[in-house]
Amino acid sequence: MKSVLTSFEEATELVDDGALLTFGGATFQRAPMEFIRELVRQGKKNLTLIDREPAMDFDLLIGAGCVAKVRTGMLAFEVFGMAPNFRRKSEKGEIITKEGACQPIIAGFRAAAMGLPSLPVKGMLGSDLLTISEVIGSQKQIEDPFTGEKMIAVKAIEPDVAVIHAQKADAFGNVRIEGPLYEDVIKAKAAKKVVVTVEELISAGEIRKTPEATTLPHFIVDAVVEVPKGAYPCSCFNYYDTDYDHIQEYLQAAAKDTFEQYLDKCVYRRESE
Amino acid sequence: MTDKIATPDLMVYAMASEIENFNTVLHGVSSPLPVLGMSVARRTHAPDMAYISGAEGVDSEIDRIYPSSFDPRLNRNAVAYFGLHEAFDLAQRGELNVMFLGAAQIDRFGNTNLSVIGKIDNPKVQLPGGAASAFLMPITPKVVIWATRHTFRVFVEAVDFVTGQGYNNRSEGCKKNKIVVVSNLGVMNFENPGRTMQIQSVHPGHTVDEIKENTGFDILAAPDVGETPVPDQDIVDLIDRIDPDGIRRSEFH
Repeated sequence: MKSVLTSFEEATELVDDGALLTFGGATFQRAPMEFIRELVRQGKKNLTLIDREPAMDFDLLIGAGCVAKVRTGMLAFEVFGMAPNFRRKSEKGEIITKEGACQPIIAGFRAAAMGLPSLPVKGMLGSDLLTISEVIGSQKQIEDPFTGEKMIAVKAIEPDVAVIHAQKADAFGNVRIEGPLYEDVIKAKAAKKVVVTVEELISAGEIRKTPEATTLPHFIVDAVVEVPKGAYPCSCFNYYDTDYDHIQEYLQAAAKDTFEQYLDKCVYRRESE
Repeated sequence: MTDKIATPDLMVYAMASEIENFNTVLHGVSSPLPVLGMSVARRTHAPDMAYISGAEGVDSEIDRIYPSSFDPRLNRNAVAYFGLHEAFDLAQRGELNVMFLGAAQIDRFGNTNLSVIGKIDNPKVQLPGGAASAFLMPITPKVVIWATRHTFRVFVEAVDFVTGQGYNNRSEGCKKNKIVVVSNLGVMNFENPGRTMQIQSVHPGHTVDEIKENTGFDILAAPDVGETPVPDQDIVDLIDRIDPDGIRRSEFH
């Protein structure tokens, strides 16, 4: 095992302009928000984002002009409603939106994690989402060779980088995700590179005491960065809850055309003049 | 007292009533009403249901809901974690009995749209997306659609985009699976030979005619149409206790 402990700057260098990215967590839970803010600060461009049910993580990158394409099952702000930057830029044609559906996106990650070119799923037949997915080449109707059952083959999704915020890791990249995993383990196995930001570093000795608590072993992980509060304002189970007030502040900024001021204050952290 | 029950509470109770004991039930994202409905069902007529949360907890003791239906605090005292991909495996095996899904538009055959108003490549309104709808709608034995605004803009002649599959967009094998629609005015089903939407029950204080006037296609009342059952005070109190901030009312603004 060699140390993969990385500085924030070095870790973000793993993300090239135009990269295909996915993030850990779901909606307002354990998204790698501080890493995402760093991508904004570094002015990354033309990213393609894919995930089943993201929220502020995607919307912030879209609002900051870092994104060319998005593919999601649903992109919204839970009970607070629409994702404002996603909606605006999609309606203006400033980003390309290719809606998927949760299962085909997850199955695409699973295929890549298993080293398969595709994976069959049920459902989808009769939905216009299948029609548009066949056009872009992400899904295709097939017949099961044994039963003849009509199914959908989902093309493997291999992100250039999966970025996951976890609770703990050692310097070698043995990672402990606590509580709900979402598809984080699958995404990590599916991606070409994996960056894990963590609340706290623990020793390799500590990891060896309870190997069953390790959710990602070191050979899957390319970079570990210690980033306390790295999911804020999303939650990080066992550390902090979602800051729903902050999320509403974000929504108000986006709605009032004061999103640039939000970016200045909360992302660039520039003093207001 | 019956006409004093608030609409969100009536809807929660109607949604709970769609769950049978020993059912395996899943809720997804942005789902305060399903979370409350599942919680009510488990504490009343369906104590042995398997409750799978979008937050991944199994059989959690829901003492409070939050603006996110994935909030890990929803997993209090869970017996296990069960990921969405595992719940989807279950659905493919035919072992997920009930799922709750939303709709920005729904038509007479039960097709739902959560994708776009207008054209998919040039949307007039970009909607959030269907999440699991296109996957779960056809293959799940019972899908309950909740719609908090029963108007002719939501209950439309034909959806702009088929996100979730109604009966005219299903294979024969998937036509046996049920769709139930719970709106702010009544409960609708498709239990007739043509598999078109009909009124199963009307919420107290509303009428069949009011539902017809607010529906963008011809909708008939089922022969045995009745009044939607109202929750008793204990259930209303339970809903209030779990949702003291009134998050369930957020979709009604």
